[in-house]
Amino acid sequence: MVAQTRRELSALPAAAAPSAAARVRLATTESAPVRWVLIALGLGFILLVIVLPLVSVFLEALRGGIGAFLRAVTEDDTLSAIRLTLLVAAIAVPLNLVFGLAAAWAIAKFDFRGKSLLITLIDLPFSVSPVISGLIYVLLYGANGWFGPFLKEWDIKIIFNVTGLVLATVFVTFPFIARELIPLMQEQGRDEEEAAISLGANGWRTFLYVTLPNVAWGLLYGVLLCNARAMGEFGAVSVVSGHIRGLTNTMPLHVEILYNEYDFVGAFAVASLLALLAIVTLVAKSLLEWRYGDRLAAGRRH
Amino acid sequence: MTITVDGISKSFNDFQALKGVELAAARGEFIALLGPSGSGKTTLLRILAGLEFADSGRLLFDGRDVAAQGAGERNVGFVFQHYALFKHMTVAENVSFGLRVKPRAQRPAKAEIDRQVNELLRLVQLDRLGGRYPSQLSGGQRQRVALARALAIQPAVLLLDEPFGALDAKVRKELRRWLRRLHDDMQLTSIFVTHDQEEALELADRIAVMREGRIEQIGTPAEIYHRPATAFVYEFLGNANRLRCRIDRGRAVVAGLELPAPEYPDLHDAAGTAFVRPHDLVIADARQSGLEARVRQVFLAGPAIRVELALLTTGDMLEAEVPHGSDLGSLIVPDKLVTLQPTKIRAFPDAA
Repeated sequence: MVAQTRRELSALPAAAAPSAAARVRLATTESAPVRWVLIALGLGFILLVIVLPLVSVFLEALRGGIGAFLRAVTEDDTLSAIRLTLLVAAIAVPLNLVFGLAAAWAIAKFDFRGKSLLITLIDLPFSVSPVISGLIYVLLYGANGWFGPFLKEWDIKIIFNVTGLVLATVFVTFPFIARELIPLMQEQGRDEEEAAISLGANGWRTFLYVTLPNVAWGLLYGVLLCNARAMGEFGAVSVVSGHIRGLTNTMPLHVEILYNEYDFVGAFAVASLLALLAIVTLVAKSLLEWRYGDRLAAGRRH
Repeated sequence: MTITVDGISKSFNDFQALKGVELAAARGEFIALLGPSGSGKTTLLRILAGLEFADSGRLLFDGRDVAAQGAGERNVGFVFQHYALFKHMTVAENVSFGLRVKPRAQRPAKAEIDRQVNELLRLVQLDRLGGRYPSQLSGGQRQRVALARALAIQPAVLLLDEPFGALDAKVRKELRRWLRRLHDDMQLTSIFVTHDQEEALELADRIAVMREGRIEQIGTPAEIYHRPATAFVYEFLGNANRLRCRIDRGRAVVAGLELPAPEYPDLHDAAGTAFVRPHDLVIADARQSGLEARVRQVFLAGPAIRVELALLTTGDMLEAEVPHGSDLGSLIVPDKLVTLQPTKIRAFPDAA
């Protein structure tokens, strides 16, 4: 559509005045030198800030050869860090899927008092530093925290334990799915739900057959983002973890430990795994968009 | 099914959308709720459907109070203004939705659902498009899918919110006639909301003209058009010229011209407004008696010639219609002085 318009626009003056001096370009286009400078600036920035660091992670990881890389990633503590990271994400992401969906549904489809307060609360983890999020949990559930004595009495360990890691991760990644769904659901309005209800569907069927399919793509995108963040979270997790090797060490924390011990190959090897996870996530998203883009567009257009 | 609306009121926060509405629809009737935006017509329709609930008043279907019933239990077909088709479902899936979500005990077998869907698609002339998605259809086709979907649950009442609002003029006219036939064939009781007076006049058995949360007048199209009860109804039902007048013992005096106003035999020299439709305004040459006016503009295109005139006494702009081929050619040129004779007026005294 855009391409077509551009062609038509540029064809017009040429047809009207076929002189060589005719300005054949859009009103919104800059002159060639300006364009090249701006493009070079943009590309240079991306190269310096995003591409180079990413490449260097993989180069550093493979500096000692493929053998050293494999030894580093199959080390016991590293394997346990990988398992723990996957476990935390496997608990935190489904929880936030349910919370996020429920919150977005309530906010977008119903009117109630305190709605804007709820939206602000959902955004809170975005605006609070992750370190503070972690500290809050220590203050609440730590040995000297508010619930400390109570938890000790019942022998429940939250801080320096997997529970704490999951709680901190849920908190930090809470906004991702809700934030993705709220504008989408608000834009879609309530018409289709009302139609389903007037046709005799109950609330659950309406949600399952109408609301959910309409936001499926936004939901998937939110889950991917949430997952990427859950695996990569450092600050909040660092505070509640206690860095117990083989027990409460997630991949990002393990990277730091290895780095501080001057095990650069090990640190970068684990880091490269994390980066790889991120890349896989993005590729998966792009593939899905490319494969089902038509249906996505068809769903949005109507 | 008969529908009785008995003193229904509804407020949204501080805004009172409906103020004690009374309405009764007989079995098989086709009723239009006509009014400007904000008059409460859509709110009333949504209350009938069970998508909104009244603050006070009673709502009876066949004499049964349904106020406590939800939308799904009322067996009402609702066609939304923007159709609200399920965009991730095909046309056939949209139409079958109401059957598929029935409780297991009442749900027809799959083959039976397919048969009914095909029948409905044939009814709305979309039999070959069952596999398409809504985004692949034209506006008129979507409208018919919405209708087929609403009819699938075999409702006794069909409610339509601005059913033709989003369609272009030609499609609108065709669909209008088709909908009227469908209503008659299926013996439905239908109520539709519109702000288009032409649509209401052509389609409905009776029209309820709404204004600011109340029904201003209800009657057949002919009654509403020829005997409007208030100035608001008169103005809403077609082009109208307004003239200030004095109403005195069955006569309305407009700029010295006396015209009959038999509705008010007992009023004495009351201020009011007289309305004249453009086609009830006869143009004559300046020597005749009547309202003196100067021709401003003449529009020759359209079913009749439209003439814009300014009254000499007040400067008010009036509009008159002259059939094509009349012998007034020499009079209807800009800047010409003419006289106007209203053949039919309707005067309303100012509200006290």
